[in-house]
Amino acid sequence: MAALALLACTSAVSPLSPEEQRAQGVDQSLICPICPGETIDRSQVQLAKDMQVIVREQIDAGRTDEEIRQFFVDRYGERVLAAPPREGFHWLVWAVPPTGIALGLLALFWVTQLMGRRPPEPQPAEGEVAALAPYLQQVDRELAGDGPSPGNEDSKENT
Amino acid sequence: MADLGSITLLLAVALAAYAGVGSLVGQWRHAPEMLLSARYAAYLTPLMLVVSMLVLVLAFVDHDFSLRYVAGNSNRAMDPWLTWVAFYAGNEGSLLFIAAIFSGAAALAIRLAPDEVRPALPFTTAVLMAVTVFFVAVMMTMANPFYELPITPPDGQGINPLLTHPGMFFHPPMLMSGLIGVALPFAFAIGHLLGGQTGDEWVDTARTWGLVVWATLTIGLLLGAWWAYTILGWGGYWAWDPVENAGLLPWLPLTAFIHSIMVQRRRGMFRMWNIALIILAWGFAMYGMFMNRGGPVPSVHSFGQSTMGWVFLLFLGVNLIGAFAVFFWRYNRLRSAAPLESRLSREAAFLLNNVLFLMIALVTLWGVVYPLVTDVFQGVIVTVGRPYFDIVAGPIFLALVALMGVGPLLPWRRASGGGLLRLLRFPIIIGIIAAIIAVALGARAFLPALAFGVCGLAAAGILREWVRGTQVRHTRGEGYPTAFGRLIMSNRPRYGGYIAHIGIVLIAFAATGSSFYSVQDDFSLAPGERAALGSYEVEFLGSTATPKPDRIERRAQLLVYKDGQPLEQVEAGFAFYPAFSMAATRAGIRQTPVEDLYILASEFTADGRALFRIHINPLVVWLWIAGPILVLGTVVSLWPERQRAAAALPAMRAVPAAG
Repeated sequence: MAALALLACTSAVSPLSPEEQRAQGVDQSLICPICPGETIDRSQVQLAKDMQVIVREQIDAGRTDEEIRQFFVDRYGERVLAAPPREGFHWLVWAVPPTGIALGLLALFWVTQLMGRRPPEPQPAEGEVAALAPYLQQVDRELAGDGPSPGNEDSKENT
Repeated sequence: MADLGSITLLLAVALAAYAGVGSLVGQWRHAPEMLLSARYAAYLTPLMLVVSMLVLVLAFVDHDFSLRYVAGNSNRAMDPWLTWVAFYAGNEGSLLFIAAIFSGAAALAIRLAPDEVRPALPFTTAVLMAVTVFFVAVMMTMANPFYELPITPPDGQGINPLLTHPGMFFHPPMLMSGLIGVALPFAFAIGHLLGGQTGDEWVDTARTWGLVVWATLTIGLLLGAWWAYTILGWGGYWAWDPVENAGLLPWLPLTAFIHSIMVQRRRGMFRMWNIALIILAWGFAMYGMFMNRGGPVPSVHSFGQSTMGWVFLLFLGVNLIGAFAVFFWRYNRLRSAAPLESRLSREAAFLLNNVLFLMIALVTLWGVVYPLVTDVFQGVIVTVGRPYFDIVAGPIFLALVALMGVGPLLPWRRASGGGLLRLLRFPIIIGIIAAIIAVALGARAFLPALAFGVCGLAAAGILREWVRGTQVRHTRGEGYPTAFGRLIMSNRPRYGGYIAHIGIVLIAFAATGSSFYSVQDDFSLAPGERAALGSYEVEFLGSTATPKPDRIERRAQLLVYKDGQPLEQVEAGFAFYPAFSMAATRAGIRQTPVEDLYILASEFTADGRALFRIHINPLVVWLWIAGPILVLGTVVSLWPERQRAAAALPAMRAVPAAG
């Protein structure tokens, strides 16, 4: 929380002009073709710097972000995009994660249902429980200090 | 000398093979003396590999360029302190390091094995030794560090400039140890399945090693981030690069494992699930090592294309198929000791945690393999980069941080709805306050405000536990500091875990701040000119060029002003290595708890001007602070508990569930 308060000093509003912010957004969506994996706002090579200049020229010329990206795709192929576009075959890359998450949560729901029904293992004999009593009292004492709330964990663990 | 290194390698592989086969045969024939000799062989293997390592280190120190590996990774001009880094700069040395560290850890694990894992120890030993034999054999046949060149060159090629950073002393060894170390808990799990010990005997030992390996891997990843931040010169610390992902992938199921193993420890549940998790973690760890050695995706990390990658892939396949075959063979015996009583319970929270971690692993893996999919089916190569991973993995990470605030407050077995509300009232209120503060300070978008709120929620959940526990002890007459200390020590796995959670909250906090609120801009300055970004002004004072034997150090001196006041002088520049025609960035970083002013000097022109890229990266320092906190949490978790408490644990599991 103290750390959060430190944010107070952070500049609340971006010091960059709206055009520059937009241009950097486009930069971040384009990969420098000769340095695999690096976007043009990160890369230090000349080609990336030239591409940044082109992005700004095209923004000044009134092109949309999509048109600017297409300009580079036409020249360098689809790999110049930092992530595949959400169209055609590439829907696959975007559709699998949410589907997987939904299926995973569904499976979790189903598994918890199944686990709830399973009968417990045979219970220990009376004598065994009696032999454990001193330990359980010890546990009781230990847990009394740190249970989430009285009557919750402490009592349930060993009643 | 080099012959000695080769001989000890050969001895190591023979000893490890004998230790593996001998322990199986000894177990089968009931021959205790054979088991004992196999164990001694396992103890001797690391000694042999350490001799090999020393021979190679000496070859580097002596500039023995008759060895191909030494000639390829060092030269006379190199700073002597870089010898250790050069040692594992290539396939040969890194495999030797992995084999040595792993066989050492395996010997330690066998030596320290407590009584309850002894019955299955021969099987565990066999698994450990199979892994050792694989690494030493691959090294000897495909990347022998002691291969001698037909003609000794007068000087070596030198070390990759990107590796000339203090972070490189620890990041690669920590990451390599962390990846290979996953084989330790894996070996205990599979060993016990093979031996028919399908209860909870392996759990404590696998948890201990799992935590050690988890901490090693975590620190390895953080050091890698630090290295990227200071030397790769793109102003960030995590790029979702294929090899970064390969380090993250095993971390995810391993993190799930060290959580869900607690449920088996406490309640005897999730027996199948834990074994499946550790098999997955080992699968991803092998994948990580495969990606480093000529994998299919280009990356800054790969040691170069080689057929070795495919040998690793084969090994990965054999391991996974074998492990799951054993798993399904013993499937019927792996029954939970207790049913899941409610979805509102800590057990269920642990399950949800596991599912979320696996989901991140799944979507990350999908992003990594998708370029291969399009290559095969469409014939086009695409990039799957940051925008994809931020969108698909970011929200799941956020859900995990939220769960971290809620899960630990839930009681075992079941919670009542009203009780839950009472438990969560405080964290939720704090979370909302944190979000409001964030908005008041300028977080204008929904996602970062939510993320800061969730960080507040998670931190408040932990604080609530600490404050309540301390107060209860205080009312019994202990002073506050004593009460807090004794509280932590009373249940170390739990309170150590909370300390680690604080570290994770800090990472989430830093990641939110730096990914949503970083700004950067480019400037071309002549000496005496100033650049302004945000509340900062930076004055370019002048530059220097210092020739070193293997490189030219270019530095710009800059004076930083904030709100018009001069603060301090920083240096930014790079080291240019003519032999590689490559530059290693030396970023000028002025770090404060609030934000980093991060200055790169990319070019010095003949007229004295210089090109600068200046970043303001908020909250990054908390990422580095999180590292020691995570280690502290792990150490507290692992600190041996008092004997009577340990003795009571299995008993508690067996008590009937009448609650």
